[in-house]
Amino acid sequence: MKYALLIYENESLYGPDKVGPKIQEIVSRHMAFNQELGTKRIGGSGLKGTATATTIRTTAGKKTVHDGPFAEAREQLGGFYLIEAENLTEAIEIARRVPVLQDGAIEIRPLLGE
Amino acid sequence: MNGAALDRVFREASGRIIAALAVRFRDLGLAEDAFSESCLRAVRTWPERGVPDDPAAWLFRVAERIALDSLRRKRLREQNPPEIPAAEPTAEQAMLEDSYLIPDERLRLIFICCHPAVAAEARAALTLRLVCGLTVTEIARAFLVQEATLAQRLVRAKHKIAEAGVPFELPSRSSWPQRLEAVLATLEIAYSKAHEDASGAGSHAGFAAELLHLTKLLTDLMPEAGEAFALAALIRYAEARRPARVDSDGVMIPLAKQDPGLWRRDLIAEGDALLIEAMGLAPSASRSLQAQLQRVWCRRRSLNEPAPWPTIVSLYDQLLERRDDPIVRLNRAVAVAEIAGAATALCDVEALAAPSLMDFLPFHAVRADLLVRTGQFDAARVAYREALRLEPNLAERRWLEHRLEALRYS
Repeated sequence: MKYALLIYENESLYGPDKVGPKIQEIVSRHMAFNQELGTKRIGGSGLKGTATATTIRTTAGKKTVHDGPFAEAREQLGGFYLIEAENLTEAIEIARRVPVLQDGAIEIRPLLGE
Repeated sequence: MNGAALDRVFREASGRIIAALAVRFRDLGLAEDAFSESCLRAVRTWPERGVPDDPAAWLFRVAERIALDSLRRKRLREQNPPEIPAAEPTAEQAMLEDSYLIPDERLRLIFICCHPAVAAEARAALTLRLVCGLTVTEIARAFLVQEATLAQRLVRAKHKIAEAGVPFELPSRSSWPQRLEAVLATLEIAYSKAHEDASGAGSHAGFAAELLHLTKLLTDLMPEAGEAFALAALIRYAEARRPARVDSDGVMIPLAKQDPGLWRRDLIAEGDALLIEAMGLAPSASRSLQAQLQRVWCRRRSLNEPAPWPTIVSLYDQLLERRDDPIVRLNRAVAVAEIAGAATALCDVEALAAPSLMDFLPFHAVRADLLVRTGQFDAARVAYREALRLEPNLAERRWLEHRLEALRYS
């Protein structure tokens, strides 16, 4: 069994670009946690803020690109891929191919430090 | 060179320079800041040392140096520096001719501003700011939003482009059809803002010319994109009529009453050539039909010739088959009034009363006119006041006020 642990926090705590003392504090705590997890950790990263998010929605089979994160109470985050793409255009192309059963949304977030 | 002349130089140069800097440094904010700083330096040094032969080339070189300095300082501040991108030597630069110094990267910049991941409501504003060089104040006024709101929208869009990896390359050919629609829609919004200013005396005067140029560039870049040709044609037909849109008292003149003798035949001829291409490539596209509508008007040679109302109605019918749109229905009603009478047209307009039209000035203006023509003067007065409430531009305000004044003794 593999798990994705998705961390929900109020991102404004870390300031607009997630730089500064608060992020340093949390990063060092994550590093300690990573040590603790040892080989149980497969991968993961902090994400840039929701202002950098792009969402591809599927509604009745039609895919549309939106600026912003996915916010809809009906669907919940059910998994994530870590991908390598040349730029946002390519990332959108790949995200369009991620299968969804019915309606749904794929949110694209660049990793922190990219 | 006085302040106004300087301002004109800066505005005309800004699109090309910001685009060239943005693509070179892959940073919209840096490009914008460096260009502003170079304008400030021009204001300080030109009056003393004289205006350079090619002001745009001067501004570009200074802005480029400012951007490089700024990157170096940033590099010193940060421990692990971003690589300063090397300038791509171009044939133009090798010639070292001032006027060839600035590569034209405006189309690339438009594609960046209109990336699907940039919020749709920010795309036109960002294009107007960076490519057409309008100020935040001017754009906010054009879109009827608070300046602070617009400024925030622009900052957010630039941040998204910088942080989320929006590419600075032109999109690959295979994705153009998908990307082109956002670009055309943005240029359309931008032009509608330029067109609203009937007299052309306002702050938008320069950017209508810029849009003529940009739409032509788009057709050069995408010779198979019929809708790009259609938009380029449409903008030319609409601009051709600019000299006839306002009378000597600054009052708007409706299309059917404009003197075709004043219309610019050079632009109409350009529009015709572009429309032929558009009709060959995309004969049934809405934009081709819209360009045809404009062309039908532009074929009129004098006010003695009858207005082409029957053709106009049939073209609007074809447009409605493609997309049922309340604004198209409203425009159709104007033509219907001339053929089937004001009462029939008024029925069509009353049937529209969609909430989305309540803040749409032409809805109230058209309705008011039809009410006058059917003898309903009190209702017409209310409708004119409603139109005036929606902040028309000066020429349109004067026209509406005249119409309202004429109802005084009715």
